[in-house]
Amino acid sequence: MASFDSVNYSIRPSKSVQRGIVFDGLRALCASMNLHDTVYIGFGSIWFTDFLMAHKVLGIDEMISIEASPVGYKRAEFNKVYRSISVLEGRSDERLPEIAAQVEYQARPWIVWLDYDGALDEQKVEEMRWLLLNAPPNSIVLFTFSATQNAYGARPAQRPGRVSDILGAVVPDDLTREDCSKENLPQTLATLTMDFLSSVVADNARPGGFIRSFQIPYFDSVGMVTVGGVLPGLGAAPAARAIVAEQSWKGIVDEMIEAPPMTLKEVATLQAELPFAGELTRDRVQELGFDLLEHQIRSFQRYYKYLPSFAEIVA
Amino acid sequence: MIPVEKSKARANPTKAFFVRMITRDITLEDCIFDLIDNSVDGAWERAGGRPMSLNNDTDLSAYKISIEIDQNRFLIKDNCGGISLDDAVNYAFTFGRRDDADTENFSIGVYGIGMKRAVFKLGSSIDITSTYVGDDGLSSFKVPVNVSDWLEAGNSSWDFDIDEADDLDEPGVCIEVQDLSEATAQSFASPRFVQDLRRAIARDYALHLHRGLVIDVQGKPIKGWSIEMRQGGDFSPMRESFKEKIDGEDVFIELLAGMEALPPDDSDPEGDWDENQNQSGWYVVCNGRIVLAADKTSLTGWGTDNWPQWHPQYSGFMGIIIFSSRRADLLPLTTTKRSVDATSPLYRRYRSHMREPSKTWIAYTNARKQSEREQVAEKESKTKAVPIFEVSARSEVVLPQVSAKKRTPEANVSYSVPKPKLLRLATALGNIRMTYKDVGLKSFEYAYDDLVGEE
Repeated sequence: MASFDSVNYSIRPSKSVQRGIVFDGLRALCASMNLHDTVYIGFGSIWFTDFLMAHKVLGIDEMISIEASPVGYKRAEFNKVYRSISVLEGRSDERLPEIAAQVEYQARPWIVWLDYDGALDEQKVEEMRWLLLNAPPNSIVLFTFSATQNAYGARPAQRPGRVSDILGAVVPDDLTREDCSKENLPQTLATLTMDFLSSVVADNARPGGFIRSFQIPYFDSVGMVTVGGVLPGLGAAPAARAIVAEQSWKGIVDEMIEAPPMTLKEVATLQAELPFAGELTRDRVQELGFDLLEHQIRSFQRYYKYLPSFAEIVA
Repeated sequence: MIPVEKSKARANPTKAFFVRMITRDITLEDCIFDLIDNSVDGAWERAGGRPMSLNNDTDLSAYKISIEIDQNRFLIKDNCGGISLDDAVNYAFTFGRRDDADTENFSIGVYGIGMKRAVFKLGSSIDITSTYVGDDGLSSFKVPVNVSDWLEAGNSSWDFDIDEADDLDEPGVCIEVQDLSEATAQSFASPRFVQDLRRAIARDYALHLHRGLVIDVQGKPIKGWSIEMRQGGDFSPMRESFKEKIDGEDVFIELLAGMEALPPDDSDPEGDWDENQNQSGWYVVCNGRIVLAADKTSLTGWGTDNWPQWHPQYSGFMGIIIFSSRRADLLPLTTTKRSVDATSPLYRRYRSHMREPSKTWIAYTNARKQSEREQVAEKESKTKAVPIFEVSARSEVVLPQVSAKKRTPEANVSYSVPKPKLLRLATALGNIRMTYKDVGLKSFEYAYDDLVGEE
């Protein structure tokens, strides 16, 4: 099911956090690498949320959205938010090589975010490989996919083997069922997919290498993963490496982001406690008159700046 | 008339030859293995054991080799006894083994080139530190090698400096290489390289790891491959020992062969069958180190002298030939220790011994192809995997007689479908990893039941 048939994914709270982290990171990278004339490529769907941010936050004008379904294409054309967005109809594994073949796109950095609806599979991995080997120097690539466990085998015993089928030799032989449980699979897939991306670039001796920059497991009713990094030209590599190595770099997330859907009243109440140097406790939340799980409180405290506020307008 | 000053053609080696040329003939992985081999030899020497009759029960659990790899640095450290100062001065750093060097009992190092070639391949800033037990207790030294400086010094002096050094935690050797070559740094940036290195160590050092030796990579110990053969019912692997005298030295040979896994149901598997993944074939072991693994080429006889070429139908067969000698130079290993010297008379002699078990297996799989599947499955189900160390002596492989089936004419169905659709169907059938063949068979059975019903 295409995302435009399900829900406006711009209003999923963990997704908002993930998007906020990604665009903060992209902004820092673009500045440190001094990127100009960048092209943004993604799956804008009919909401174009990431395209809005690419234009507003990164100042990118030229953007390309790829839409596989004919209906989706028509709706995307209708809904596109800027005149500088081109919508291409077709599958990304066909359209991306066509973009790469056009001279005007060959010497410019790309920021490509392939925000897939489904689980990781052989086709997506092949597309990742193609992009890693063909994106112009100084490009930044990001991939998002589902990490819901049943998509990797109906039975737990099948999942480690399935992950190995998809990602190949980077998967350790001793990957366990536990590594592929509902709780652990997003982080497992995030780490192993990053290993895969690094390996493709290193094994093919791409000049400049690959800088692991984004590793974000998050949960919005299903587990999701965003991974990505920089494919620097030789000149920009040290600056990009330096920015990602900084203590303040937020793109590598060690704990699954699970921002709870909250009411405006709950958000306002909790937000009034922040910023706070210590850890907000569950006891404190209960004192304030409601309740959340520990990891939800941690997520809120870490990422509240990225959380949107939602209100339903009854007209 | 040739002038006197031109009566000799210069034949001196150059340093650049050792740094830039011979390093091209070896993979990065094999370089690391050369360094591991030195540590393994040290462990065996200290343990006083004799590699490598399979029956040997020397305990190596006191010895540990640690490897750390990243884009900027390579480090290997062991507690296997170290190099003495005298050995460093006289032998360890010469290019090629000196004629007056002692024979190291049952070592795997033989040519005197491994460590130097390895570190030159890895990078250009090298520190080799050794701590050993001397006459006055622990002593240590360090050999720092800056390859650029060493090359610039010209070909008149080949020696490396030996400096004072602090003691390592235990007697052993620590080799640290920085200023990695571009190719090395790129490989070390690949998590796949590290995973493959772990797999290769697990396999090629399986016999040492079985005896308790600890090898860890990135702080995580490697579990050795458990080499097993299936026996039980009408199946028995062979195991036979031989002894040869070469140059007055004993060379021990041990030959094992039999079924390592159930053969494929289909004699001509396609699609999802990955030949590289299967462990079948011949293994050659020299002084405990697997130098050739799962070989299916003419090197181990396949496709030579009335011995058919390897075919996936023969999967499930494993043969192991183990050569051991106090003098490693008598064994049929190449300088990279990644293959066998096919011209070695010793190896050629024993390749003929390898033929019989191979042919016995080929005959079994041919008969099996013509037989009732249930009959074969019932016999094969009575086997269980046992470690090769537990295989009893027997001069030939025992395999069951299988009778030809009463043939119902069969039709082979072959067609291609988009892989994503096949995976979705496999998922719907309950196993996303179901083989293509089984997806086809189950789909056929489903359609048959639905459209044809009872036979």
